[in-house]
Amino acid sequence: MKVVVNGIELDLKPGTSAIDAVFAAGHDVPYFCSQEYMSPIGACRLCLAKVGAPRKDRDTGEWIKDDETGEPKIFYFPNPMATCTTAVMEGMVIDTLSKEVQQAQSGMMEFTLINHPLDCPVCDKGGACELQDRAYEYGQGTSRFQFDKRHQEKHHALSDLITLDRERCIHCKRCVRYFEEIPGDEVLDFIERGGHTYIGTLEEGLPSNFTGNITDMCPVGALLDTTSRFRGRNWEYDHTRSTCLDCAVGCATTVDARTGRIERVKSGRNTQINNDWICDGGRFGHEYVGADDRLETPLIRKNGSLEPASWDEATAFIADKLKTMGQHEVGIALRADATLEEAIGATSLADQLNTGQRDHYPRPAASVIPQGTQATLNQVATSDAIFVIGDLTEEAPIVDLRIKEALKGVAPPELMPHGVPIADLRLKERMPRKREILTVAAPYHVDLMNHAGQTLHYGAGREVDMLSLLVTAAQGDADGNVNVDAQKAAELGLSAEQVVEIVVGLQQAENAVIVYGGFVLASKHAANAAAALAKATGAKVMAVGPMANSYGLEHLALLPSQSGFGYASMLRGDVKALILSGLDPGPGRRRSPSTLRELEPARRPRQLSHRDHRTRRRRPPGQNRLRKRGHGHEPRRPLPERQAGPGRCGQRRRLYRRDQGARRRARRADGRAEYAQRPPEAPQGARPRPERTAGRRAAPASQVPGGQHLRGQRPRHTGGQPAARAEHGPGRTDRA
Amino acid sequence: MKPAEVVNEVKASGLRGRGGAGFPTGVKWSFMPPVDERQRFIVCNADESEPGSFKDRYILEDDPHQLIEGMIIGGYAIGATIGIIYIRGEYWQGYERLLQAVKDAREAGYLGKNLFDSGFDFDIILHRGAGAYICGEETSLMNSFEGLRANPRLKPPFPAQAGVYGLPTTINNVTSLTSAVHIINKGADWFSAMGTDDSKGTKLYQISGPVAKPGVYEMPMGSSFRELIYDLAGGPTEEVKAFIPGGSSTPMLPFDDEHLDTPMDYGSIAKKGSMLGTGGVILIPKQKCIVNATWNLVRFYAHESCGKCTPCREGISGWMTKMYQKLVQGLGAEGDLDLLDNMAQNIKGKAFCPLADACLGPVQSSLKYFRDEYEYLVEHGAPMYTRDSWWQE
Repeated sequence: MKVVVNGIELDLKPGTSAIDAVFAAGHDVPYFCSQEYMSPIGACRLCLAKVGAPRKDRDTGEWIKDDETGEPKIFYFPNPMATCTTAVMEGMVIDTLSKEVQQAQSGMMEFTLINHPLDCPVCDKGGACELQDRAYEYGQGTSRFQFDKRHQEKHHALSDLITLDRERCIHCKRCVRYFEEIPGDEVLDFIERGGHTYIGTLEEGLPSNFTGNITDMCPVGALLDTTSRFRGRNWEYDHTRSTCLDCAVGCATTVDARTGRIERVKSGRNTQINNDWICDGGRFGHEYVGADDRLETPLIRKNGSLEPASWDEATAFIADKLKTMGQHEVGIALRADATLEEAIGATSLADQLNTGQRDHYPRPAASVIPQGTQATLNQVATSDAIFVIGDLTEEAPIVDLRIKEALKGVAPPELMPHGVPIADLRLKERMPRKREILTVAAPYHVDLMNHAGQTLHYGAGREVDMLSLLVTAAQGDADGNVNVDAQKAAELGLSAEQVVEIVVGLQQAENAVIVYGGFVLASKHAANAAAALAKATGAKVMAVGPMANSYGLEHLALLPSQSGFGYASMLRGDVKALILSGLDPGPGRRRSPSTLRELEPARRPRQLSHRDHRTRRRRPPGQNRLRKRGHGHEPRRPLPERQAGPGRCGQRRRLYRRDQGARRRARRADGRAEYAQRPPEAPQGARPRPERTAGRRAAPASQVPGGQHLRGQRPRHTGGQPAARAEHGPGRTDRA
Repeated sequence: MKPAEVVNEVKASGLRGRGGAGFPTGVKWSFMPPVDERQRFIVCNADESEPGSFKDRYILEDDPHQLIEGMIIGGYAIGATIGIIYIRGEYWQGYERLLQAVKDAREAGYLGKNLFDSGFDFDIILHRGAGAYICGEETSLMNSFEGLRANPRLKPPFPAQAGVYGLPTTINNVTSLTSAVHIINKGADWFSAMGTDDSKGTKLYQISGPVAKPGVYEMPMGSSFRELIYDLAGGPTEEVKAFIPGGSSTPMLPFDDEHLDTPMDYGSIAKKGSMLGTGGVILIPKQKCIVNATWNLVRFYAHESCGKCTPCREGISGWMTKMYQKLVQGLGAEGDLDLLDNMAQNIKGKAFCPLADACLGPVQSSLKYFRDEYEYLVEHGAPMYTRDSWWQE
């Protein structure tokens, strides 16, 4: 339908929100409470605009015409409207540039700021803060509030991983809504009311697997990732778009590194995979990268001890040794999160050495490339019958989230010119969930069962029996009726009705999906039975492999040439040389033969899964909380040039100080010279601010690679209308 | 009578919601979607928390059966089989009497399954609020009933589409439902013969403040304030300078002949720049400092703000109370009144629910009519009128 935004005519779909119309037109309004993929609530009242629409005459059904122009007359709403909760109407006119809208927005910004501590200089969000940007663009520059600000807790540990600053909170409710709407774990809410409202939990901690996302979406520095707090300013970080390797999903992430050291991982946006969310394992489980005992140089064993060596030396040494090896005497194995390039390298090396002892690990018994039609994550999210076997919350947390998305019955939003819609009016707070479409089967209670309409608890290791029962039922008897062997079902602890319900549910659904992970992949028979069930019910299949690139490595056929050549047999000592990447065959494995002890690597790389990480972080309260850099403990990774020896450290520090002092003195001298040469009429005290242009702030969406926006530097303002922006008002340019 | 006939009868009577907004009750009932398998609810909003309003209390305490009858009629009209009475937590006596009345009605067969072989089931749930003014807002009331935080919900969807537990719901005030009883008993014509063109029937008016006989009075719509204050309530007991026409959220009016002769109906009061609201008239004596009186109301609204939206939470709860405190303490400075005025304009019409605007009613009107008192206070550091209490000489 036709909508006019500040004179720009757009053709939008019904149900679009007015705020998306404004952004689609390349214009901008401030907002804090709206968030992509979440329900709009209209709480911050910042996205105000003057909105009007033509009306139809009730009697004739004709548009009411303006007497002078003959065009349909626009009836404006008496008050400025919150555009995030207003749906567009045919012929709607939205104005965000007029004086009254500006006044409304700047007045609201003043209210937002009166109780905000404005401690930006010490705030980790500084430089990537929505409130900071918006206050700069839409605020008045000064405050007329002369009273004490609200004082609340500044360092409240919501959990071991997240710290809440209650003074900075502007009550946008994003985090509270997030927990209810996205993972469905209601662990956070507002407490108290009015000016005393604050965010809090009823009990200790945030018992959810997806808590870190609230630190990304918090528009101010109220919710911060404790592990990266006070570790750097946003402009010091190198933001690198990356992909998470923690599980088979492969979520988009942004890795923030400072001086070459990874300090935090934030979520990235991939509309096909993880939307905006990543799990806590992927976010917080990066510390192994900077582990103290990580290998940094090649080591060669000389006279019984491992000596550092150069890469040239090491490659020459390896080449020498390999030349003496015969066919099949060398084993090559990669961890299953190796890249495709690594796999190709390993394959060509194995070809060159003429060995079939090549493998990736962990590799399940069954193929991770499922038979039948494979489902994508977006198909899972729009599915109308989902059958899950196993514990996906642990194996692939984002699959768990996308399944929960399907329960809402709202398809992923269509992209708009500015990307994902900011306010999707189909989403509501506390939507009723279609639990009946989800069935979860596992030997024990898994988290997803809390959201499922039906749950099956089968005996551990009996996936094959359970699936075969369902396959028989689905294939039906001669008349095509569902055929349940009640006795077999009872043996598995299931009732015949349950079986019928699952099978009929899958058969009748249009987009049924069967999702399974390690429990089924552990057995070829179970995987075949799952494929047969999919065939019998017409469902699509999603198989979740054990690691990030299990699927790719299997496609590249990095597989043993015969059954005795797998990774396990390599470790049993069937090879003379073992080339491993990312794998740790050392102590801890029971069958560690003497041959392997000779192969034992110099140091074990520490591989932490997110579970290890969580246990590591859980310390007794109050004890050793601040064991990280900058809190009185030595750096975990020694600086490269630092040598053990008397007095060296102190000497370095003294040298550094002397150097700094010289630089500071030079800077002061420069500054004095500059000050002496200043023009005499320069006003005292008031420094003119450089005028901010739209182009400098952010690139238009079309120029950002892949059309995706890095979080924290999202081009909120698409910058298409510099002229319109320049005349936006005195609040933005005349401020001095 | 068929349900549709009941709705039409109430529509024809011209009954407008008595809770304050004045939306036609019959029209509201007709918004309910066609009957399907979904459960439907009729909710009675008995969370009467507006300062100056106490009409519902009289019905709840003295004639609870009339309300139950009204609920049954409303439920029948919209096809709801469950009625919910959300009663203000502080109305303990009203709650106990209503509880007994519901029990009596159940025993007598007025509530339960298949009432009098009509095939119509109806029963009532009583729910006590926990003392929040915001729960008088219909969507907050529903949230509170469901056990959620009492924040207003987004509209649309309106309660008729998605109300209690997302199911079709109609919410009416106590006196709207009790009026329906008499409309059905005596006919729409009888009801619409009373009152004025845009406001039909009778209404319970309440009067409080320095009058001889404060209380609840039933009068036809369109009676003047003078009739209420002088003829029924016995006139003021001392000199009065202003009155609030319809509960604390409506803008106050000066106590002069022009405003006293205003008919108490929706249209006429709106023309004078105020609202009929709940019909709770409050007289403000001359000897009371208007700034102090307004501060009292502002404090109330600040305390009752739910904290969902910025203008109410920060503007009223955070800033305006502090401004008034400063003024009342005699610390006001030049420019404070303009700031207050500007702040009110920045809040007006921009908040999520009508609660913020409700606070601005007394603030803006007192600034409009009694700016001299504000200016005197700022200039002298002491109020023009010094009496602390409304009731003491």
